[in-house]
Amino acid sequence: MMSEQEAGYDFYRALILRRQLILAGFAAALLLSLCVDLALGPARYGLDEVVRALLWPGEVSDQLRVVLWEIRMPVALMALVVGASLSVAGLQMQTILNNPLASPYTLGISAGAGFGAALALAFGVALVPIAVEYIIPLNAFAMAMLTAMAIYGLSLRRGVSSETIVLLGIALVFIFNALMSLIQFFASQQAVAAVVFWTLGSLTKATWSKLAISTGVLVLALPLLARQGWALTAMRLGDAKAESMGVKPRRLRLEVLIIVSLLASISVSFVGTIGFIGLVGPHIARMILGEDQRFLLPGAALSGALILSLGSILSKMIIPGTVIPIGIVTAIVGIPFFLYLILSRKGATW
Amino acid sequence: MRLPLPLLLPCMLLTSIAAGHAASVEITDIAGRQVTVEAPAKRIILGEGRQIYLLGALEREAPFARVVGWRQDLLQADPDTYAMYAEKFPELKALPTFGGFKDGTFDVEQAASLKPDLVLMNLEARAATEDAGYDDKLAHLGIPIVYVDFRDDPLNHSIQSMRIMGKVIGKEDKAEEYIAYVHQQMARVTDVLAMAKFDRPKVFVDRAGGYSDTCCMTFGNGNFGEYVEIAGGTNIANGILPSTFGVLNPEQIIAANPDQVIVTGGQWEAYVPGGNWVGMGPGSNLKIARAKLEKLTQRTAMTGIAAVKTGQFHAIWHQFYDNPYYFVAVQRVAKWLHPDLFDDLDPEATLKDLHDRFLPIAYKPGYWVSLSDQ
Repeated sequence: MMSEQEAGYDFYRALILRRQLILAGFAAALLLSLCVDLALGPARYGLDEVVRALLWPGEVSDQLRVVLWEIRMPVALMALVVGASLSVAGLQMQTILNNPLASPYTLGISAGAGFGAALALAFGVALVPIAVEYIIPLNAFAMAMLTAMAIYGLSLRRGVSSETIVLLGIALVFIFNALMSLIQFFASQQAVAAVVFWTLGSLTKATWSKLAISTGVLVLALPLLARQGWALTAMRLGDAKAESMGVKPRRLRLEVLIIVSLLASISVSFVGTIGFIGLVGPHIARMILGEDQRFLLPGAALSGALILSLGSILSKMIIPGTVIPIGIVTAIVGIPFFLYLILSRKGATW
Repeated sequence: MRLPLPLLLPCMLLTSIAAGHAASVEITDIAGRQVTVEAPAKRIILGEGRQIYLLGALEREAPFARVVGWRQDLLQADPDTYAMYAEKFPELKALPTFGGFKDGTFDVEQAASLKPDLVLMNLEARAATEDAGYDDKLAHLGIPIVYVDFRDDPLNHSIQSMRIMGKVIGKEDKAEEYIAYVHQQMARVTDVLAMAKFDRPKVFVDRAGGYSDTCCMTFGNGNFGEYVEIAGGTNIANGILPSTFGVLNPEQIIAANPDQVIVTGGQWEAYVPGGNWVGMGPGSNLKIARAKLEKLTQRTAMTGIAAVKTGQFHAIWHQFYDNPYYFVAVQRVAKWLHPDLFDDLDPEATLKDLHDRFLPIAYKPGYWVSLSDQ
């Protein structure tokens, strides 16, 4: 006869094992998706050629090498990094604000970035007067960080609840959208087209240097967030309970907000507005893995990366020869899946 | 002094005949609508500033004589041409300007206060115009809308639009003269190709190449894509893009391996300062343009393609895409694609001749450049 305690241990061990297996499954699916993304494209190279170009890039034709290493690879890897960054950013915004609606998109960070980019695209206004060849991402980044800091500044005021912060974010979205429309109203046709295209989000903007920066930020951010895993899990019980466990909610909020703003801003400024991942990635991970940050954090990163990687494959296969902007693809394909997940669950999802 | 009525009437009649008094004329516009206008119209609103491309060819001495208001897009989209017109006809700067019908910012009250005989509208503004009910409102005021087009389908609609405008302002002879000229210039390409045996080179049209990092905007089977086909080439985006405008996967360009690349460019310093666009247009600096064109060959999507290896890499004025002077672009492309067939064709002479014979402004070179130029 097993004691109650032993049964509890067993249950816990089984739970941990199950969650570890789920994470491993996610990782395997991600690897597979990455391989498919690298193998597919309008230049119909055989699988053997692709593998050869991957392993011995010096021995294949210039064109094959360029297609694989300069066109497909940055896009495929950027999908993983941006997907993970946006999803993690969304997850921690939801956690620290204790609100299921929080994400880089709903808090106005994406809209801010879009406004910064539009200023550059339509009028050539540089908010950061260095490195004009990077004027668009720099502008986007500056506006995104400014937005995040505004949100934080307001959250410090007395009596501001997390609901207020989300409302504030939505207000910012509206302001930036109006400003964007104003820019488009005065801009040339050519510039309007460029602004619209930018806001649709596109991975084809990816380059190795952008990829390196995004990866660097993600690699720095993940351990910092993981270190706060227990505290963040506790935050989900409410500030008062978290405080009783020794968490300092205000400090934690600032620290996490700075990290995730950086994550979201970098991603959005490089690839444009991709609204859906930051909201849905974490929710999918939470439904499958639960609230424990030890699993939820890597889970959200993996699910975000997987969604964007699948989106990347679809975006170039829908009409072979062109690339449908990824923001459109992820929303159209991902939303029905998300709805299914929400509606098919019996219990509350938040 | 008062004249007795029996004397006054014949006087009025005489003055009105002398002034070419308007008579009702029935025309079919580009949208296929039957419109009755008082022609020749004396007061016209240009719903699209670039309609001056057409009007200028009909009335080179005073292209703005009948214009009482216009949309300000010429200044935004084609500042070089605007500057040339403004220099010669400074009165255009004082003309009231409008927002676009398409974006719903056309002010119908302002339009009515200008008491126009008619409003010339571009075809693509039709849906927005009717949606906002401007057509009904203007009809109540007795102001007809006439639709013309030289952008959605320049090859088929430009000539018809010219004919309509000729009728509206009572310059049908001039319009027919221009139309005959266009037919004659197009025939210099199509007649030769109809007789000749030739291979169609694969062409990639790089729409506004270098304007943004994003590669590669292009044309589907319309517009420049169609110019390429008429000029005896194969547009590599044809059959891939479902509409006139679109974006190709950079990989697709490497896979298609085009024999020639045609970059469209304009003076976009105001929009993308220091950008990689190629600044073509009247009076452009060809040396700078060529250097920037050279730089565009180094983009990832151009790796190892035949056009870069052989130097068949060209840039042409972007505004030929919505311009009734498109036949010059067709000639230029034809000569790039088949230099041996068009040895005696000189597109630059055509463009100069067009200015000398029809246009209010003087010709300035700078509309194209090629890496194959010596």
